[in-house]
Amino acid sequence: MVLVMAIGDLHIPHRAMELPAKFKSMLVPGKIQHIICTGNLCIKEVHDYLKSLCPNLHVTRGVYDEDARYPETETLTIEQFKLGLCHGHKVVPWGDLDSLAMVQRQLDVDILVSGHTHRFMAYKHETGMVINPGSATGSYCGMTYDVNPSIVLMDIDGLRVVVYVYELIDGEVKVEKIDFKKTSATT
Amino acid sequence: MSPAALVEPTTKTLPESSLSTRSSPERGDLDKNRRFWDLRGVQWRTDLGVLPSSSSVDDVRRVTANSRRSYAALRRRLLIDPLIPKDGSDFPDLTMDNPLSQDPDSTWGRFFQKAELEKMVDQDLSRLYPEHGSYFQTPRCQAMLRRILLLWCIHHPNYGYRQGMHELLAPLLFVLQADVERLSAVRKLYEHYFTDNFDGLSFHETDSAYKSNLKQISRHIEDDSGIQENQVTVNNLDELDPKIQTIILFSDAYGAEGELGIVLSERFMEHDAYCMFDALMNGAGGAVAMANFFSPPPLNGPQNGLPPVIEASSVLYHLLAVVDSSLYTHLVELGVEPQYFALRWLRVLYGREFALADLLVIWDAIFSFDNRRLDVVSENDPDLSFGGLNSSRGAFIAALAVSMILYIRSSILATETATSCLQRLLNFPNDVNLGKLMKKANSLVALAIDSMRLMPPAMHSDGVSDRSKLTVSRGHSLSFDVSASGTGTPVSLLRDSYWEEKWRVLHKEEEEKQTIPQKQVENRPKGWSEKVKLQLLRTESDPSSSKVYHAKTGPSRPRVRRNLLDDLARQLGLEEEIEKLASKDDSTKRSLSGNGGSEENSSVFSDPPTPTGGDANDNDHENDTERSSVASNISVEENGPEHCPPVESFSATIPEVSSPLPVCEAPEPAPLPPVQNEDSIGKLGSNLKERISLAGKFQWLWKFGKNGGDNSTTEKGAGVSDSTKSSIVGQDQNSETAASAMDVKSVNQNTTCSLKNLGESMVENLQVIESVIQQEKGETGSKKALLVDRGQMTAMAALKELRKISNILSEM
Repeated sequence: MVLVMAIGDLHIPHRAMELPAKFKSMLVPGKIQHIICTGNLCIKEVHDYLKSLCPNLHVTRGVYDEDARYPETETLTIEQFKLGLCHGHKVVPWGDLDSLAMVQRQLDVDILVSGHTHRFMAYKHETGMVINPGSATGSYCGMTYDVNPSIVLMDIDGLRVVVYVYELIDGEVKVEKIDFKKTSATT
Repeated sequence: MSPAALVEPTTKTLPESSLSTRSSPERGDLDKNRRFWDLRGVQWRTDLGVLPSSSSVDDVRRVTANSRRSYAALRRRLLIDPLIPKDGSDFPDLTMDNPLSQDPDSTWGRFFQKAELEKMVDQDLSRLYPEHGSYFQTPRCQAMLRRILLLWCIHHPNYGYRQGMHELLAPLLFVLQADVERLSAVRKLYEHYFTDNFDGLSFHETDSAYKSNLKQISRHIEDDSGIQENQVTVNNLDELDPKIQTIILFSDAYGAEGELGIVLSERFMEHDAYCMFDALMNGAGGAVAMANFFSPPPLNGPQNGLPPVIEASSVLYHLLAVVDSSLYTHLVELGVEPQYFALRWLRVLYGREFALADLLVIWDAIFSFDNRRLDVVSENDPDLSFGGLNSSRGAFIAALAVSMILYIRSSILATETATSCLQRLLNFPNDVNLGKLMKKANSLVALAIDSMRLMPPAMHSDGVSDRSKLTVSRGHSLSFDVSASGTGTPVSLLRDSYWEEKWRVLHKEEEEKQTIPQKQVENRPKGWSEKVKLQLLRTESDPSSSKVYHAKTGPSRPRVRRNLLDDLARQLGLEEEIEKLASKDDSTKRSLSGNGGSEENSSVFSDPPTPTGGDANDNDHENDTERSSVASNISVEENGPEHCPPVESFSATIPEVSSPLPVCEAPEPAPLPPVQNEDSIGKLGSNLKERISLAGKFQWLWKFGKNGGDNSTTEKGAGVSDSTKSSIVGQDQNSETAASAMDVKSVNQNTTCSLKNLGESMVENLQVIESVIQQEKGETGSKKALLVDRGQMTAMAALKELRKISNILSEM
């Protein structure tokens, strides 16, 4: 019952002022155990805000991040799942599933979370998942039209993960759910 | 220490207590009640109403099974994991049911709520009975306690979890465990009696089914004598001690309801503990419901609006006053409110004052009393609820508290301050002679019931509620800290007692007057003190106040009002006067309505006056108070001030009366009182001229007033000045104008009446001065200076009043 939030590409303050109000109202401290952030926050204030929601914050370096100390990639283990995190601008072609799958094998993780495309994507294959939480603020991106703000919440429970996707479409929060069950425990 | 070992030493004291309880008149069918005195779990379950008190084993087993079933269903319903996917395809709407949803009804919302509750419960459980940690701190016991508490709190969301509930639950579980251990001890001793009569046949272990069947069946066919060997053991059951017999019958796995009906069962300890806890908290339809002590009841049944625990504490104090008045007065003088220590005592039923072994004995006694509501209806106020103590069980609880206080009597009397007194009370000595305590408590039970029956509302309201109204918020804050030493600041207490004394002084006069049937005599104006009293009533019953104000002073107020009204009726001679009154009433009524907010500010003396609120309100305040004091002053000279209030209150209901007021009241920002008075008097005069035909209205008022004895206290706005200071000042300022107004009245009846009134008001003022002086004598604490000043002001005011009266008399 571990709640992990995947968020990224906020581009505050360059391309967006702040998180959408509806998302902000949902994010209450104390509910979420981990936050993984793909990058492009970009400033310290956003980092502090996310830290206030949850002390376990993992961030990878995006293109416009002002803090140069974030790592390029990060892996963590939660319950039976191994999660991998990277920003995705170094994986070319951007957003390509095969390249991302390569990274996933490289990092040896079950779930790979990457960003940069500002478009939500969740791809399930037999050994794992590749998730792109999109842009939490809906900021502009050169390669994606009509960006909707979106965040991803993963509920990890033993061998099963339920992925909730919150998208802000036309001012309303829409929620989707994706189930994934791992076949065997982590060795 | 294992529960069984803990239970054993108490058997020594048990016969003693049961002997003493036998002599008490409230005990019912003793033999039946005390049937299981060595099986506490069963005994308590019977007393609390979980098990029926019938003597049939089957009945008991059946009820046990039912209660366990209901608990199991409850647990299944409320504790399901939200993640378990439903089989049906109708998943709950995702926008509602996602983990981040704010909706409190979603499964996730409930999940998080449960997590919160669990955190709170765990905090308490980790600190439960560390000295008996070998049982209570085991993970199994903790898990059971946690589950039970969680379930109960989820099932009763209006109470939530409060600290102290775990301490009520722990001994219940303990006695159940003790019973189970007793059972295993008995089993060891009487092994071969536990036959588990399967089809009425019993099998030896080494029997092979084939052979034994033939044997047994052949035995059945033969004479009974042939079956003797096997049935020897069964027959001997009757030879056993009946208690052992019941134990064995209770634990027969094939009796009624099968295994679920085994009354002393380890497997179903959680279920039984939950049922006991539920019964204890709900009172099982009786009067004492522990849940009431943990929070105010959701539906405000009794009209007084006090939390039941405060009421129960006052019942306690009342009994103490009856039993030992010197100790009571000592405590009251020190300003020790009963709920400071009684809160902890009552909420955990003395769980923190005694060691567990002693506590079990005490709870034996408490539960042995019947919990049916007694028919204790006070003639004055049927809404009195005694804080849920109106049953013999409640009476015993109160009696026990009083006997505890008496036990440490000498050390309490030796204390000089409230703090040290509370320290003595809250650190009850550990080595108590329990038998003595119980005997004393038992002797007081009958007295407690009688005192509840006779408890006059004045006593009930007067002694504690006036103070408790203003300290009720503190009482609430204490509720979260059961172990607090409860040293409340005496500051507001002092202020309360000042007003309370005022009230008592006036109230006593009222009671004295009640014996005199002639209303004329009663109608003498109280002058300034009357205003104070009305002011008290006003502050007490201020509807705009956010605090819980007690309207218990009802019965005395209608009396006053009726008296005043009669006097008013007699003074009906002059239309002009009536108009004056009416117009005055209008102004005071207006000032009354405008006073809502400022009332709050001024009535809370101990708070430093807020500058922002004060500035804005002060002007209005002064205007209003000046006007009202003008009104009341004028009437002092003419008819006595008591005419003002009732007419005012009734004029509040006349809408058209208020119409001319806004015109004259709008431009009133002048802060100077003397100027103010002249202005307002001038305006009043203009009002007078405007309204001539008020006689009819006044008649209606009078009739209305006759029936208006039970008017809501909101209309009782006397418009009397909030701060006595301003009224005194106003009085002084207006002596000249008042004197001039005197010339208006020319009727002889009025003069004679007013003479009488003046005489009475002289007496009043003298009394006020006396009380003030006494007050000064009795003052202690930091607020002394302030109150002494005020006392001096009141004394000076009274003296001035007297001087005025003498002037008037000389004029006549």
